[in-house]
Amino acid sequence: MTAMVKAEGIHKSFGPVQVLKGIDLEVQTGEVFCLIGPSGSGKSTFLRCINHLEKINGGRLYVDGELVGYRQKGDKLYELKDSEVALKRRDIGMVFQRFNLFPHMTAAENVMEAPIQVKGVSRALARERARELLEKVGLGDKAGNYPSQLSGGQQQRVAIARALAMEPKLMLFDEPTSALDPELVGDVLDVMRDLAESGMTMVVVTHEMGFAREVGDSLVFMDGGVVVESGNPRDVLTNPQEERTQSFLSKVL
Amino acid sequence: MTVDVNKTDGPEDTPPAGPEAIKAIPVRHPGRYVSAAIALAVLGAIVYAFAQAKKINWGAVPDYFFDDRIIEGVLHTLLLTVLSMVIGIVGGILLAVMRLSKNPVTSSVAWFYIWFFRGTPVLVQLFVWFNLGLVFEYINLGPIYKDYWSSFMTPLLTALLGLGLNEAAYMAEICRAGLLSVDEGQTEASHALGMSHAKTLRRIVIPQAMRVIVPPTGNEVINMLKTTSLVSTVQYVDLLKAAQDIGQNAGSIVEMLFLAAAWYLILTSIFSVGQYYLERYYAKGSTRSLPPTPIQRFKAMLPARRPKGVSA
Repeated sequence: MTAMVKAEGIHKSFGPVQVLKGIDLEVQTGEVFCLIGPSGSGKSTFLRCINHLEKINGGRLYVDGELVGYRQKGDKLYELKDSEVALKRRDIGMVFQRFNLFPHMTAAENVMEAPIQVKGVSRALARERARELLEKVGLGDKAGNYPSQLSGGQQQRVAIARALAMEPKLMLFDEPTSALDPELVGDVLDVMRDLAESGMTMVVVTHEMGFAREVGDSLVFMDGGVVVESGNPRDVLTNPQEERTQSFLSKVL
Repeated sequence: MTVDVNKTDGPEDTPPAGPEAIKAIPVRHPGRYVSAAIALAVLGAIVYAFAQAKKINWGAVPDYFFDDRIIEGVLHTLLLTVLSMVIGIVGGILLAVMRLSKNPVTSSVAWFYIWFFRGTPVLVQLFVWFNLGLVFEYINLGPIYKDYWSSFMTPLLTALLGLGLNEAAYMAEICRAGLLSVDEGQTEASHALGMSHAKTLRRIVIPQAMRVIVPPTGNEVINMLKTTSLVSTVQYVDLLKAAQDIGQNAGSIVEMLFLAAAWYLILTSIFSVGQYYLERYYAKGSTRSLPPTPIQRFKAMLPARRPKGVSA
C-alpha cells in the first residue's frame, strides 16, 4: 500500500495561536481515515491544510507523493502559483460542514459547474454525469431544485455529488453531518458508506463514533494540536489507552 | 369531466373536519376612515389650487410635450444617463476590486479616488472639467490625436466625465459591499473544486453579489437621470435646458418646468420597471418561489384558458 496523504511534523499558527503542533500521520490509499477530537483540537484545520486552503507554517505534507503548496528544488522550497495549486485541488474533493452549495444554481448545475469550468467537459456530457451522480446519492428527482428548496441532508448529498464530479482520488469530509438534524444524518452516512465500499480514499473529521467504528479503517484522536492516540477504530474506541482519549470518549459515547 | 387549471382540486380545498369554524364580527376601525378622508381632502385641495391657477397656462404643456426640441432633449438626457452609468459601473467594479486588493498601493489609490470624488459636489466637478482648458492648452496624444483642448472638450464629453467619474466613486462602494456580502464558504468551495480566482469571481461570487448590488444601482440610475439636469451649466442641451430654452422664447417658463418634471417622472418610472425585473432575475435560488409579477397576477385574474395539449 502507498500513502495517499503523508504528514511530517505539521505546524500551523493563526497569528500567535498555535493550532497544530507537529502532526505526523499517514493515510493509505483506499482507506477511510477518521479524525476525532474535541472542538478546537485542530482536526478541521489539518484537513484544510491537505488541499492547501490553509498554509502550513512548518513540516512537510504530501498528497499522492507530491508536496502540497510547494515545489522542492535542491534544499529550497518554492511556493506554487495559484494556478498550480488549483490544478492539484482538482484531484481532491472536499465536503464542508455547512455544505457551501452555490445557491444561485440548481442541484444539477452545482454538480456540472466544476467539470465544465475546470476540465472543459461539454455541457451535455456534464449534464449526463450529474444525473448519474445525483441518482447515486439518491436525489435523481431533485436535479432541477435550488439548494434553498432542499433539506440539509439533501444539500449535503448534492455537495458530495459535486465533489465526486471531478473524479477525485481523495475525498475530505469536514464534519459533514454536524449541521444536520439527527434524522437526516443517516442518509448522508449511507452515501459515505457506499463511497467507502467503492474503494475511495477518505479523510473524515467526524463526531459520529458509530460511523468511525463501522466504516473506518484507521482513527486518530487529536487534542490541543497533537495526535494523542491512533490505531484501529474498534480498538481505540472500545479500549482507549490514553487518559485524554478515555475522558473524551466517556463524554461523547 | 372538466378541469379548472387554476384550482388544485383535492383534499386541500375541503375544510378539515373537526370543530366548527369561527364566525365572529370583526373589530371596526373608524379612525382609518377619518384619516383616509383627511388625506384625500388635502390632496384634492392641492390639485385644485394648481389646476385653477390663472397665471399658469396649462395649455402650453400638451402643446410642447412632443416638440422636436423636447424629444431631442429627452434623448440627450437618456444618452447621458446610460453612458455615465456605464462609466460609473465599470469604474466602480474596478475601484472595488482595487480596494479589496492585497496590494497596499492599489487599495490606497482607490481609497483616495473615492475620498476625493465623493467629497466634492458634482456641480463643482463639472465646472472644473469645463474649465480644464486653463490648465491644458492642447491635447497631444502623439501621432494619434492633437487638438486644442477647448475643441476636444465638447459639452458632451465634459458632462460624461463629470458625471461618470463621480458616479464611479459611489458605485465602487456599492460593488464592494456586494462582493463582501458573499459568504467566504462560497469562495472556499469553489477553490476546493479547482476553480481559479478569476473563475470563482465571475461564476460564483459576482452572480451572488448582484443581488446586493442591483437595488442600490437602480437607485443610482434614477439619481443619475435627475442629476443630468445639472449639465445645462456646461452648455449641454439636455431635457431641462431644452425646456428652459422653449420657456424663455414662448414666455411660459414655469409651464415648461412642469413639462420637464412630467418627462423625468415618465423616464424614472420606466427605469423602475426595468429594475423590478432585473432584481427578479438575480433573486434566482434565493427564495423558494418568486411571487408573481403584476402582469402574471393580471393574467391570473382573466378567465382561465385551457392549456394546449391537456385533455380533460
